Amino acid sequence: MLPKTENFKRGAAETLADPIIQESMEAVYNGFHTNRQSAGAATEGWDDQRDRGRAIKEHTIANLDYYLNMLADNVDANGGNVFFAPDSAAASEYILNLARDRDVKTVIKSKSMVSEEMSLAHEMEAVGIEAVETDLGEYIIQLAGEAPYHIIAPAIHKSQDQVAEMFKETTGVDPGDTPEELTITARGMLRETFQRADMSVTGVNFAVAESGSIVLVTNEGNGRMCTSIPRVHVAVMGMEKIVPSIQDLSMMLRILIRSATGQRISSYVTMVNGPRRDEEEDGPEEFHLVIVDNGRMRLLEDPKLREALYCLRCGACLNACPVYRKVGGHSYGWVYPGPIGAVVSPVLSGLKQGKDLPFASSLCGACKEVCPVRIDIPNMLLHLRNEVAEGPSESRGSGRMERLGWKAWRFGNMKSGRFRRGGKMANFLGRPFARDGMFRRLPPPLSGWTRSRDLPLTTSTPFRDRFKKRRQRGEG
Amino acid sequence: MAITGREAFLGRVRGALSKSAGVPEPDNATHLGLTDEDVSAAASAVRREMSDNADALVDAVAESAATAGWKVRRVASPEDAADVVAQICVDAGVSNVLRSDQDVFNSVPVDAALAAQGITPSVATVGQAAQDVPGLKQAAFDAEVGITGVDYAIAETGTVVLHPREGLSRLVSLAPGRHIAILNRGDVLPSLDELFTLERSDYNAGEIEGSMNLISGPSRTGDIAATIVDGIHGPFEVHLVIVG
Repeated sequence: MLPKTENFKRGAAETLADPIIQESMEAVYNGFHTNRQSAGAATEGWDDQRDRGRAIKEHTIANLDYYLNMLADNVDANGGNVFFAPDSAAASEYILNLARDRDVKTVIKSKSMVSEEMSLAHEMEAVGIEAVETDLGEYIIQLAGEAPYHIIAPAIHKSQDQVAEMFKETTGVDPGDTPEELTITARGMLRETFQRADMSVTGVNFAVAESGSIVLVTNEGNGRMCTSIPRVHVAVMGMEKIVPSIQDLSMMLRILIRSATGQRISSYVTMVNGPRRDEEEDGPEEFHLVIVDNGRMRLLEDPKLREALYCLRCGACLNACPVYRKVGGHSYGWVYPGPIGAVVSPVLSGLKQGKDLPFASSLCGACKEVCPVRIDIPNMLLHLRNEVAEGPSESRGSGRMERLGWKAWRFGNMKSGRFRRGGKMANFLGRPFARDGMFRRLPPPLSGWTRSRDLPLTTSTPFRDRFKKRRQRGEG
Repeated sequence: MAITGREAFLGRVRGALSKSAGVPEPDNATHLGLTDEDVSAAASAVRREMSDNADALVDAVAESAATAGWKVRRVASPEDAADVVAQICVDAGVSNVLRSDQDVFNSVPVDAALAAQGITPSVATVGQAAQDVPGLKQAAFDAEVGITGVDYAIAETGTVVLHPREGLSRLVSLAPGRHIAILNRGDVLPSLDELFTLERSDYNAGEIEGSMNLISGPSRTGDIAATIVDGIHGPFEVHLVIVG
């Protein structure tokens, strides 16, 4: 999907005014977040495991070239193919060419955020290949023609009535209106698609360098369908989704799943070690692994942003974030919403257009607190704010007037005399426009401040003067 | 098979990291540094624990599997297990039953118990239920119940582990609306850690299968109104029958 990160403020305002979404988003906190908190508390050595998980990611990312090379060698040795894609266009082209070459009619997709970066389903439909999302949430937003709202719950913003309406439009029959009835309807629609699929595209939760394996975590079983039925299986991964050893998986799965939904484990975890073996009863004949950069090198090369590549895409920081829960997923304007999205999206899509995202946080630190690999998101947001204000001019998000304003502010605050005189002058100039010592409404560019709060007038008798007077009166 | 675009890509990674190619310093965070001998010794210790501690492990998995959403039945003998399997099919009112071709069916007489109820199960292999893979797929989607053994169960998570292979289709535990898994005492692992120790040991020995599935309850979704519903794509009902 194309980034639209410049529309954050408008999107946020629209979402705040939407009562259906505001109600739906309650589940993010009351469900996912509270479940994650109890799962952490119930896991022995939980914090040690998070430290260990972070240490694995730190080591792997610091030696990413070595482990990617090992991964590629082992996928190759297993009889699979590896394609290194510098950007989403190259990745899409590889997969589309493969689909055409293998005479593919129907592609089933299991949830993959990287394929969302590529708008892969759209690209396929555009060349006449049927591409169906099979995660129920993804299926719903595909019917709605929307982007995912949450990393692990893409349709969290839709009410059951809205889903019922969409299913009715698609099937032409009444699908019922309870979540149970709607799920059974979707089961019927998707089972038929699974059976005729000849290619699948899945994401990758972990790729194992030493064995060339990929691991998929799902609750629905669509990941299993995708790795069992079609002739061709294509797995798409961001270049960071790698662990060195098979034995590293147990702990990584634990911290991922418990952070995501609070379950001890998801209903299904599937490990794929290449195409089906000759003697096997079924399974894909071909396995392709597409490893995607698409802007990630920019995170890798900045030591202050590198740890964004430790992200397991569990969504815990979204659920914990008081801003995400109110402004919703679409306001962030790209595939990755919430605190981690506020770091990743501006870097991957360009800081200039994503300049509002690093500011979409109160820096309360809840995201860092819940992150399974303790990514210091607040610190990275501060770093990006600094880049927006003072970074190289091509990526800078601040305007000339804004910078001039802050320069004047700095000048006025540098010397105590200037500060004192400035305060008094502001009081003198501002008094006619203030009421009860407050500005209720100011003209642009200050109107942004007074739209949702008042600005106090500087005092006519500053503390210094009062202090001096008290001393003179002998009270001090 | 083929690797495309590797050198340029890895060059950019090294550039971004400001490093040159080479083997990383040993690091204790990952298990990669363990030698094959270490792993093999650890795997032997795991196998010993599975048998020495079998009673406690089977009790633990009975509990965690129930928490995960399995309907758990414990029986004393293979004959009782077969009867329980047949009774589940009868209670569900089904007649189209598919099973894998695994060793467990040599000890647990499922076919005979089903036959006593007038049900003839198909065997989900190319050559038995079907002549080719599309035929097998059709049989799996048509079946109302799929019956398999269990390679390992995991006490920590209530998980059944299956490695698809000759005789064990990927779909028999997935496509039918109900899955019945038969677990033998002695096949229970304490946690995910031991599972991946064994997998790595198998990998080192060149004995890893094409894929592995960890199954921990029914197919589930929470994607409509954040309400958990069972049976979105795979089985809506899963039974674990524990023998011994």
